[in-house]
Formats: sequence, structure tokens, C-alpha cells
Amino acid sequence: MSGFLARGPKVSDEQKKRIPPGQYFTEKWPVLHYGSVPRVDLKTWTFKVWGEVDDPFEFGWAEFKQMPRKSLHTDIHCVTRWSRLDMDFEGVAIQTILERAKLRPTARFVVIHAEQGYTTNLPIEVLDDDDVMLADIADGAPLTPDHGYPLRLVVPKRYFWKSAKWVRGLEFTQVDKPGFWERYGYNNNADPWKEERFTDD
Amino acid sequence: MDSRAAEVRAELRTVLGQQGHSVDNAREAMELVESALSEGVFERTAEIDQVLADLRLALEQDDGQKLGGKSAEAARFITKRLSQLLDDA
Repeated sequence: MSGFLARGPKVSDEQKKRIPPGQYFTEKWPVLHYGSVPRVDLKTWTFKVWGEVDDPFEFGWAEFKQMPRKSLHTDIHCVTRWSRLDMDFEGVAIQTILERAKLRPTARFVVIHAEQGYTTNLPIEVLDDDDVMLADIADGAPLTPDHGYPLRLVVPKRYFWKSAKWVRGLEFTQVDKPGFWERYGYNNNADPWKEERFTDD
Repeated sequence: MDSRAAEVRAELRTVLGQQGHSVDNAREAMELVESALSEGVFERTAEIDQVLADLRLALEQDDGQKLGGKSAEAARFITKRLSQLLDDA
């Protein structure tokens, strides 16, 4: 019996098609992170964009809230095997950031920097997708501290550790720099439909 | 010093293989390695420092906070890498 049938609530045939192999369906949003939950003061909070860009920049919370807004209805998949369907995120499209930064042709990868030194990494072609965004609202409410308040990246086509919580900056690079979990055995590509969980997968 | 290095490697393997919570084992492992580095048993490298810094973050705990499964997983993954680095040192 496959995982999503054996565990959790019932799913429709339509929903089953949206659950990648090895995943089970949950209606909850489990909290998974290592270490402590960062305390954030919006008065001093900043987000930095730098590296292989023509216009590096930094913005604060008030400026972020003035940027054009975007809504996203999507499914998310965690490497620990749960999938949550029909989530709604609100925030700013990643393209808003990319356009302002003016990426150089040499920018091929991005390192996503978050609180407490956490990093994860993506190729530009994965980051620059219509469903990638910086989200401050999930299912109609501001992110809770456990889920990344005030801001997290959302990359639905990858396992959710790539959707860094408590995100504070994007560093564009010429070469790929493995992030925290990627350094210790998680798969660099992390495509849930290919079950790319660990380095050897 | 080589025999001391072999002792530390063996001790580290014992600590990481012992019964108990991965987080507690990782804390003990970190103390052991920090102490060995201070004694000069192993040469400090940028990679060892990065691994120790990552481990410190993974084990960071607020007052009253219970560390979850991801901290335990991170502790297991990072200490495995630490052990590999010391085997090669």
C-alpha cells in the first residue's frame, strides 16, 4: 500500500495525482527545523541582494510591504515525506527582486541566506519560476515564528527545505555553493517527483 | 600525537554510537573534538570550523525549548561528517 493511502486523512483520486512518490498527505503543517526559532525585530530587519548582479540592494520591512504583491495557490512537499495540498501564500514574486537586481550573465546559482547562518542553494533556472516567491502570508495569516516569520522563500517544485524560513538575503554566484543540508547529505537538486531526497538518490 | 589522534577518533566513534538521544551524543562529541583541537591533536581547518559552527547552530536551544527531529537529524548528519574529517586529518 502506498504511503499516502496508509497514513493520514483520505485523499481523492485527483489529490493522489498531486502527491509525489514516497509522500503521504497531511492536512496539518508540521514544524520542522533545527535549532532555535529566531527572534526578529521588524524595525531593524533587512533583506540583502548581492553577488553577480549589476544593482545590489537592501530593503527593510516597510519597503518590502510596498512592493507589488502576488498570491500563489500551491502544494508543498517535505523531504520528511509529508505533502500538504492547496496552500495559499502571499508575498512578492521573485521576479520583482531579480528585475531590480539586474542579474549578470555570470549569475548561474543563488545562495539563499537565512537567520542564524542557515543557507540553501538553487540554480537560477529553478529560482526564476512563476511559482517562486518571498512569502509573508500563509493561508491568510502572517507566518508564525515557527514557519519563518516574517519572511520565507517558497519554491513549490522542490522539497521544502529549499523554501528557507527566516530568509534574509540572496547571493548570486557563478558557481554552485551547497547549503546547510546539501553539505550534509541532502540532495542538491531536491525534486520531489524524482524522489531526490539524499545525495545518493 | 598520532596515537592520541587514534584515541580521539575511537572515542568519537564510541560517543556517536552510544545509546541515547542524537542531540546529547552530538554535544558530547563536540566537546571532545573542541578539546582535541585545543590540545593540538588535530589541525584546525576551515572545513572543521564550518562543521563545528553548523553543529553549534543545530544544537542551539531556547530556554524551555525541546529540540525536534530536525535538530537530531542535523546532529547525526553533521557528526558523521565531522568523524569523516577527523579520520582524514
